[in-house]
Amino acid sequence: MFKLYCGNRNTHIQKIVSGMVIGASILLGGCATTEVAKPQETANKADPYEHFNRTMFTFNDHVDDYVAKPISDGYRWITPQFMQTGVYNFFSNLKDINVVINDVLQAKFEQSAHDTGRLAVNTTMGLAGFVDVASRVGLEKNEEDFEQTLAVWGVPQGSYLVLPLLGPSTVRGIPGSVFDTAANPSSYVGMPVQLISMINTRASAEGSLKFIDEASLDPYVFTRESFLQWRNNLATDGKTEASLDVDNFEDELLAGDKDTPSKKGLSAESNTATPPGFTLRLDEESKEFKQTSNSFSSASKSFDTTSKSFEEATHKLDKLKKSKKLRKHRYHFSHGNYSTVK
Amino acid sequence: MALKNMKLAVIFIFCVLMAAHTSVQAEESSATAKQVVDKFQTELIAVMKNGKQLGYAGRYEKLNDPVSNSHDLTKIARIVIGKEWEKLSEAQQQKLVDVFVRLSVASYAHNFKDYSGESFVFDSEEETTRGGVVVHSHLLIPDDKPVKFDYMLKEKGTSWRIINIIANGVSDLALKRSEYTTILQREGFDALIAKINEKIDNYSKL
Repeated sequence: MFKLYCGNRNTHIQKIVSGMVIGASILLGGCATTEVAKPQETANKADPYEHFNRTMFTFNDHVDDYVAKPISDGYRWITPQFMQTGVYNFFSNLKDINVVINDVLQAKFEQSAHDTGRLAVNTTMGLAGFVDVASRVGLEKNEEDFEQTLAVWGVPQGSYLVLPLLGPSTVRGIPGSVFDTAANPSSYVGMPVQLISMINTRASAEGSLKFIDEASLDPYVFTRESFLQWRNNLATDGKTEASLDVDNFEDELLAGDKDTPSKKGLSAESNTATPPGFTLRLDEESKEFKQTSNSFSSASKSFDTTSKSFEEATHKLDKLKKSKKLRKHRYHFSHGNYSTVK
Repeated sequence: MALKNMKLAVIFIFCVLMAAHTSVQAEESSATAKQVVDKFQTELIAVMKNGKQLGYAGRYEKLNDPVSNSHDLTKIARIVIGKEWEKLSEAQQQKLVDVFVRLSVASYAHNFKDYSGESFVFDSEEETTRGGVVVHSHLLIPDDKPVKFDYMLKEKGTSWRIINIIANGVSDLALKRSEYTTILQREGFDALIAKINEKIDNYSKL
């Protein structure tokens, strides 16, 4: 009976969560149409909805301050460290099922064998995952998820989004996390387990959150940049060369140094044409990730610019017509003049 | 007699150490990128080992020279605020560099406060197309995942200086750049300086 009750409740919660996600996407869809009409001053092209995202970020921050952090602190206070590690390992082991699936989906067969071995060792010798035996025998954890698989398949990353309660994500991250949730066995058991999983996730993020708090001048931008860079690094398996950033930045710096009054306009133009950021670097480096930077938002922006260029074109056509008429007039006039002189 | 021998031995060791010290100083001017990174990491680990006894102020003191000599902090400060640099007066530029140097040392002094068996391991070194060098290394932490540290270096005069540190794929320079330019655009120069000073202050207290 209890099980049944739990199941019902669970599906109910899932409905609520999926409702929320759909609601959020509709809300964001709404934003998409309004934001295009009124482009914002954004430092990062991947974040066209900065205003909305900042509001959500503040909301999440408050929820964390008043709800999640106190609960997580209580959990960390009550639970001994070895239990926390055990619980963390347990849920991490369940996620390894999803890692194996995504290894295969990304055609990383050797890695999938490695991760299957890891899963088998930890589930058996590691007492259902509570002890991470595999890491000690050289089977280190790999981080793979469906969002990365989508990236490998060439799905564009889309805009940066801060989802209510769920935190930083991207447009590509939404189907990614839906799949990951579906592939995680802990999603199908009762609420208490899910609750522990959530508290544990928050508790293990304590260090990173503290670091952000200490190091960031603007926590929103800090979170966004590090999140996007981290996801990008995962999706490309660390193959992207962030070092090239420096060259891009340096170019801009040198362009500023060599500015002479006559060249100023030109260099300003080139600066706007090459926005800073790793998304662009990806374009230059490998064609296969070219799409990554072409987010949905930039697609809508390009529609916007096309419609503008159409407008300009019609203006030009109008002008042409007018000038033709003028020329005709002039011709007639001069011709008339000529004839009178003659 | 034994005492005299001991004395001689001590003098001899002293001489050897002195020679080694001067030779290190002589090499410093022409140190390769890898050597610059190595030296900095060794100094950092040494400070971590005495971290608790030194306290924050002691660590700050000990790290001031190693950080300033291995990083090109003026250039980093400049890159970090991008085009906004041109808009600042000379006094403002100087102020920003000063505050930035203090912040960099303070964050090292705060984040590398104690030692629990960590060690840096050199992986590889590669030249970039634009005359820079990337030194790939990682920090081994007992019972934890290793952290990848990639150092991007550029030549400054005759020596190599760190321009960017990429930790686990997250570029410090790109991160700071986004933050600093956003604050400058949204809130202005004074707010940026105030925020940096606040961070330095927090680091010294925590």
